[in-house]
Amino acid sequence: MAGHGERGRPSKKHKTSDHHRNNPVVVPDTDIQSDDDDNARGDSAAKKWDFTKLELKADHANRPLWACADGRIFLETFSPLYKQAYDFLIAIAEPVCRPESMHEYNLTPHSLYAAVSVGLETETIVAVLNKLSKTKLPKEMVDFIHASTANYGKVKLVLKKNRYFVESPFPEVLRTLLRDEIISQSRIVPPEGSQGGDAFTISKTMGEIEGRHDELLNEADLAAVVEEKETHSFEIDPSKVENVKQRCLPNALNFPMLEEYDFRNDTVNPDLNVELKPQAQPRPYQEKSLSKMFGNVAGRARSGIIVLPCGAGKSLVGVSAACRIRKSCLCLATNAVSVDQWAFQFKLWSTIRDDQICRFTSDNKERFRGNASVVVTTYNMVAFGGKRSEESEKIIEEIRNREWGLLLMDEVHVVPAHMFRKVISITKSHCKLGLTATLVREDERITDLNFLIGPKLYEANWLDLVKGGFIANVQCAEVWCPMTKEFFAEYLKKENSKKKQALYVMNPNKFRACEFLIKFHEQQRGDKIIVFADNLFALTAYALKLNKPMIYGSTSHQERTRILHQFKHSPNVNTVFLSKVGDNSIDIPEANVIIQISSHAGSRRQEAQRLGRILRAKGKLQDRMAGGKEEYNAFFYSLVSTDTQEMYYSTKRQQFLIDQGYSFKVITSLPPSDSGPELNYHSQEEQLGLLNQVLTAGDEAVGLEQLEVDVDDIALLKARRSVGSMSAMSGANGMVYMEYKYDPSLSPNLPTTPIHTFTPFKPNIL
Amino acid sequence: MPQVRILAKNFMDMVAALPATKLDKLYENPFICEAVLRSLPPLAKKYALQLLFIDSPISAKTMEGWVLADGISKHRVAIDRLLQLRVFLEEIDRKKESTYKLNPKFQGNIQKYLVYGGSLPRQPMPSNVTVRLPTLEDLETYVLEQWEVATAAINQGFLLQLISSSQVEKLTSFSASMMKFFQRGLLSARENEAPKLTENGFQFLLMDTNAQLWYIIREYISTAEDRGVEQMDLISFLLELSFHTTGEAYNLNTLTDIQRSVIKDLANLGLVKLQQGRKESWFIPTKLATNLSVSLSDSSARKQGFVVVETNFRMYSYSTSKLHCEILRLFSRIEYQLPNLIVGAITKESLYSAFENGINSDQIISFLQENAHPRVAERIPAVPENVTDQIRLWENDRNRVEMTLAHVYEDFPSKEVFEATCDFARDMGGLLWEDTDKKRLVVRGEYHQDMKDFLRRQK
Repeated sequence: MAGHGERGRPSKKHKTSDHHRNNPVVVPDTDIQSDDDDNARGDSAAKKWDFTKLELKADHANRPLWACADGRIFLETFSPLYKQAYDFLIAIAEPVCRPESMHEYNLTPHSLYAAVSVGLETETIVAVLNKLSKTKLPKEMVDFIHASTANYGKVKLVLKKNRYFVESPFPEVLRTLLRDEIISQSRIVPPEGSQGGDAFTISKTMGEIEGRHDELLNEADLAAVVEEKETHSFEIDPSKVENVKQRCLPNALNFPMLEEYDFRNDTVNPDLNVELKPQAQPRPYQEKSLSKMFGNVAGRARSGIIVLPCGAGKSLVGVSAACRIRKSCLCLATNAVSVDQWAFQFKLWSTIRDDQICRFTSDNKERFRGNASVVVTTYNMVAFGGKRSEESEKIIEEIRNREWGLLLMDEVHVVPAHMFRKVISITKSHCKLGLTATLVREDERITDLNFLIGPKLYEANWLDLVKGGFIANVQCAEVWCPMTKEFFAEYLKKENSKKKQALYVMNPNKFRACEFLIKFHEQQRGDKIIVFADNLFALTAYALKLNKPMIYGSTSHQERTRILHQFKHSPNVNTVFLSKVGDNSIDIPEANVIIQISSHAGSRRQEAQRLGRILRAKGKLQDRMAGGKEEYNAFFYSLVSTDTQEMYYSTKRQQFLIDQGYSFKVITSLPPSDSGPELNYHSQEEQLGLLNQVLTAGDEAVGLEQLEVDVDDIALLKARRSVGSMSAMSGANGMVYMEYKYDPSLSPNLPTTPIHTFTPFKPNIL
Repeated sequence: MPQVRILAKNFMDMVAALPATKLDKLYENPFICEAVLRSLPPLAKKYALQLLFIDSPISAKTMEGWVLADGISKHRVAIDRLLQLRVFLEEIDRKKESTYKLNPKFQGNIQKYLVYGGSLPRQPMPSNVTVRLPTLEDLETYVLEQWEVATAAINQGFLLQLISSSQVEKLTSFSASMMKFFQRGLLSARENEAPKLTENGFQFLLMDTNAQLWYIIREYISTAEDRGVEQMDLISFLLELSFHTTGEAYNLNTLTDIQRSVIKDLANLGLVKLQQGRKESWFIPTKLATNLSVSLSDSSARKQGFVVVETNFRMYSYSTSKLHCEILRLFSRIEYQLPNLIVGAITKESLYSAFENGINSDQIISFLQENAHPRVAERIPAVPENVTDQIRLWENDRNRVEMTLAHVYEDFPSKEVFEATCDFARDMGGLLWEDTDKKRLVVRGEYHQDMKDFLRRQK
């Protein structure tokens, strides 16, 4: 009977363990894994992949990896060549999971595209892989690499003096491209085409070729050396750049375009005179990601995405990139608070003067000064399609007209593709740098990012950063709270289907576990605690009962500032309750404990983002290592009611972190059995009272519609359209989506009252 | 029916469990005396030597006085062991106090041994006869090979289809009777059905090689008489073997007929290697044979571990062995097989099928721990805690539901009859559930007859 309510909790399965079913030569959409796979995998996965016939090399013990014909690569982390092999693999393959001893990677067409775009050549990839491999490389893999990369890196997209050119050292490739209708239509034929339409402009540029591969092993240096090449080019219509790029992708013409910016030789755009301050010392992994972006050729920058965990210092990477390019930089953030934080980071790390930087948000419209500057704004401000205020219009016009040296994009994983397209079509930039912590999306949009921004340039290994002391060492725990009999009985009733979430979140045992943990961490360890609840009914009930401050969508700006200030500075306020608004971007470096009492279904990203709130390393490494072995200095608790849907979601949510090498310890005995009335809801009467409270509250108040398994924040709009009350109850208002709600076409059901975010938002300004 | 319990105890425990007369008979062989002496715990060894030349019994009290207060538990263990093995004989003296004296046969043999030294009934053959003997490494490989084949044979019905044909041919070299006793208790063979591994069979597979070997030897000894071999002869021959030198050749014609038939079986198990020269044949004891009496369950003799379990439930096994692969398959999902690596994942489904086969979480966990790759073996814990926790939790999950055979009774003519029935069932202790409104109740199956009788009476 007891197991009745459980909805087939999936086992902790491996994210992409069935990639191997893809025939590598067929282009699989391997870089994202939709969650449905979990179900599809089941029994058929028992199929065995037998590569025992591969020939082991005599000195295999000294080599760090195995490569399988299906593209899967296994890397021993204890090999003396690990560091070199890791740098190489991260450049050519997609990491699947990276726990302590053995990493797994997948070779995909996209990952190879990324490899080529950072300057690796086909033969180098094969040769190095062969060197590192314990076995002879399977022929299938070699063929796959050849097939995937034959065309890569042959075509470049270059922005010169506000005009776009398609460049290639191979004129025949350009001819192939021009045979495509869309591309030929996009071409701007030079007016005095003396030699007819087929003639390309010929110029000499500094090209780069990869260093010899034997060096690669010795120095682990993916450096490129300079070589002079003759290039041919033709111009295309700026408004059709995206179409051309898309036609060039692997699933179409298969000549993916590289984007590079030769900023040192850019004499047209004025320089921005900024430098990093001396105290801004990029850490090794920040340095590495920058070196991937800039290669070894001074004065050239590549577009792409850099993936670093939260708290690992993404902003320093962004600021450093801007300081290297030293041209105008447009920095896009997800919301107004982030805009302030970015502006602050620029001033913190670089010598930028106040008159060189300006913020552009709905209520902070600083005008540009000078002809080169840093502009920080939100995606929504740029992409907004409706009528703008006169002032905004002017600024947007300036953004539109300027040729940006660097387009710096924060949190690229949350921004939907159509918004990117819009932003990119409005702003002309030479180089785009996307930053994110978690390149997971439950939808398929990562592929879009690949051509909208560029390939992934670098992805840090979380565990390595923990070991290096750059991010906090977090103990993750899943606390199992059994449902009380009465709550479970109600949970199982059909008529309560809309209250299921409220019932498992309000489970008295969960409340007591939460209360216990708060007391423990406040009193025994003097920690600062954030409690997350997506369900607003629960958030309010918990916070009121425990008498703690809370912040959710409609908390006023002043109130938030006051609460956060107290949380940071007052010894009496050590716990704060946050709704979804706290998932991203609220910077609370003091917090080191997270208790999650309700969450957004199976979103792996939300879990990672929330963990990110406490990843910022506290104190100095030496201090933390005082006891010889580093102790856990941050705690992440996820409270789940057993036998409910939550168990099922919880497993899904943890997948990303588990793949990064985190482990969740299951705790089954909280609060301890000897705890009594000192915690709330001890007596059955109290519990029944609570139950009654949940049951009598209208479905409106507690009944969060069940959302599709993970919807990205912005995609949440869809759900909100169908369920009017949800936005109000989920605390999801504000942040990213707030700037949407003024688009009348989007959501007729939205509440008409203005919804406050961090900064008071005045609807009439846009 | 009592189940065959698999206890990974050592050879000497078996000797100790023999009846007194048989034990005393064993002590007629000086090698057995020496082997027993060697096997004793240090304090017991000391006592045995201390009393070696004393003929009169020593009172238990006196001996207790030999140790300091904090050594008393060790003292007890030593005395118990000596008594079990009948090295010490206990006598009650006139004052009704216990006294101990050495077993005279044992004493005599060891005394002689000390004075004159011992010599084996056979000497290694000169190297000019046995031209090319295998090196110690060769022997090691031979042992492993034999062992895999032997283990595979035990699980024949289960593994045969998965093991390549070359090995199957090798299997046929086993005598049918050997197979039979190997499989006893490990395989269940119903008629017209493919033999299936029993619970013990799975457990057997998860044990380490020494424990497996011990299990086989024990079975082999206990069935000796079925094959017309005196159990005592077998035990003393096995013990004698342990005094031979690993890697040396011994002429087969020094053996008795019985021993010669036994040696073939031992070769199958990898305890000895048989070789034939131009005129003569000889056997070469391997490490398995020479360690038999000393360290059957000694961890130092254990093979190097090969399994790495990660926090994400991935399992990487450095092994080329098909058998390992099959063992891992018992509780995990094998995903990749590489030349020297097996990649798998521990999943809920794979564990559930293991549980259904009677393997429990502790066995799986201890298998993973004992076979941990040296890279992770020093790590504490060698298997990530979240994985071991989860394995246990999954097992507990299965145990939350208890199945009870029961009957439901309904359609009662009146409330009175219903209530009387409930009372009756409750008094018997068989009432599981009742619903007064709908007049239904559920009662344990074993009370069905009583219930029927009771209801008949109600009419």
